Amino acid sequence: MQVLSSIGSQLVNVCSALLLLTCFAIVAQRRLSACVDLFALQSAFLVVTAALVAYLTGNQHIYIAAALTGVIKVIIIPRVLKKIIDRLNVKRELVMYINVQAGLLICGGLVMLAFFISQPIIPLGSLLTRDSLAIALAIVLIGLFTMIARQKAVTQLVGFLVMENGLFLGATAATHGMPLIVELGVFFDVLIAALIAGIYTNRLQDAFDSVDTSRLTALKE
Amino acid sequence: MLEATTLIVAQTTVLLAVSPFLVGLIRKVKARLQLRRGASILQPYADLAKLFKKQPVISTTTSWIFTATPYIVFASTLTAGLLVPTFTSQTPMNFSGNIIALVYLLALGTFFLILAGLDAGSAFGGMGGSREAIVASLTEPAMILSIFAIALTAGSTNLSTVVHKTAVLEGIMTDPSPHLMALAALFIVALAETGRVPVDNPATHLELTMIHEAMVLEYSGRHLALLEWAAGLKLAVFLSLITNVFAPWGIATTVAPAAIGIGLLVYIIKIAVLAVLIGVLECMFAKLRLFRVTDLLGVAFILALLGLLFFYILRS
Repeated sequence: MQVLSSIGSQLVNVCSALLLLTCFAIVAQRRLSACVDLFALQSAFLVVTAALVAYLTGNQHIYIAAALTGVIKVIIIPRVLKKIIDRLNVKRELVMYINVQAGLLICGGLVMLAFFISQPIIPLGSLLTRDSLAIALAIVLIGLFTMIARQKAVTQLVGFLVMENGLFLGATAATHGMPLIVELGVFFDVLIAALIAGIYTNRLQDAFDSVDTSRLTALKE
Repeated sequence: MLEATTLIVAQTTVLLAVSPFLVGLIRKVKARLQLRRGASILQPYADLAKLFKKQPVISTTTSWIFTATPYIVFASTLTAGLLVPTFTSQTPMNFSGNIIALVYLLALGTFFLILAGLDAGSAFGGMGGSREAIVASLTEPAMILSIFAIALTAGSTNLSTVVHKTAVLEGIMTDPSPHLMALAALFIVALAETGRVPVDNPATHLELTMIHEAMVLEYSGRHLALLEWAAGLKLAVFLSLITNVFAPWGIATTVAPAAIGIGLLVYIIKIAVLAVLIGVLECMFAKLRLFRVTDLLGVAFILALLGLLFFYILRS
């Protein structure tokens, strides 16, 4: 039993580490469609992590949350985003507020910060998901950073979704999942938010012939 | 003593014999994936044999560095190869250097190659040299950090110890996450250092993109043969490093003839699989623009840093 739970804990750690790896790939990626693909990949890793936690803790309702993640974040949202990208006249993001190399270093710093902050909490948590919490916090911070550093509405949306992935991982890791009704509400929210952001992106494209959100500062009375 | 000498000779022979095979295998895989028949896997051996027979042509404007470089590059790469466990975990040369020596032996070869590129005075040589210097200065920190992440988990910087401990699963019961990060970083470094596709294209002599080919452009005859062979050796060294550090199982942990036989077979299968993987990757990805290479190597550096970080987090 001891060995099984130790192997399980290592598997959960590896899956969380893979989530973090895809985060860095998103930060370094300039092509919009590749960013969306990487987000879908990250969500797939999240499904595996959640399913592992569900199996190891025996909480049935995490399976439902994992399945919903699979349907919404791996299939529906990437499809919607791909459709939006097809309409756009840009395929890659060349100008950013913070360039890729500096962005990568800052994200490395954010991971250290996340580990440093969660250091006092980790020994209190259950053995299974010890350091997934730190990784989840790091993913939330990197998602936030992506939203700040990028100019295009689509990549800002991907940043938002990455943040949400981080929150879901944190919730699964720290408390073995929120109550199902809360999870359902969150999924609904994310889906609606993604759709609204999609419409917003389309409107931006129509109004400015660009999805560069910095153009919005030109809107004055 | 006799045993150690035999092992040294055996490892040298294996490395020298296997490196043209790897180059040929990658070319063959790429050709097949592009629906070409491709040259035989043994073609690089024939190329080397032919080049060794030809007379080298040396420009009158070059200094001794130009003539000495092929020998220095070949010798330093081969010495580096002797520090890496290949088919047996206890390399006979392990007393003479650790991981850090390995990294800087390879760097010595790169340094002289850059000098030789400049020495001939052609525009391409200088261009290739400056590009190689960019790539080398960016891969070095990533390589050192990823290797330290591995060395920390094994508690030693001696490659033989690292590989031996992992092979017999002794004292390395830690989480695989640091290893995973270090593996990703080291793989990117290996692609960059050996001039494979996202960084450099070994198949063309296009002046806008070439790095390694630009530096060796002025070489001919046996000098070119030595440099080509050294490039193949470097590939073999990196592939051995990756396979044996991250998945050493099957390697000979004793010097019994049976164990060494199995180790040799497993070693060749493992590096052949990795070479096929590189060939497939080269078909899937286009070469990066030179100024985007820094992004890729930045990712490698951050990954290696995270590997180190994970080690400390998991230990605390």
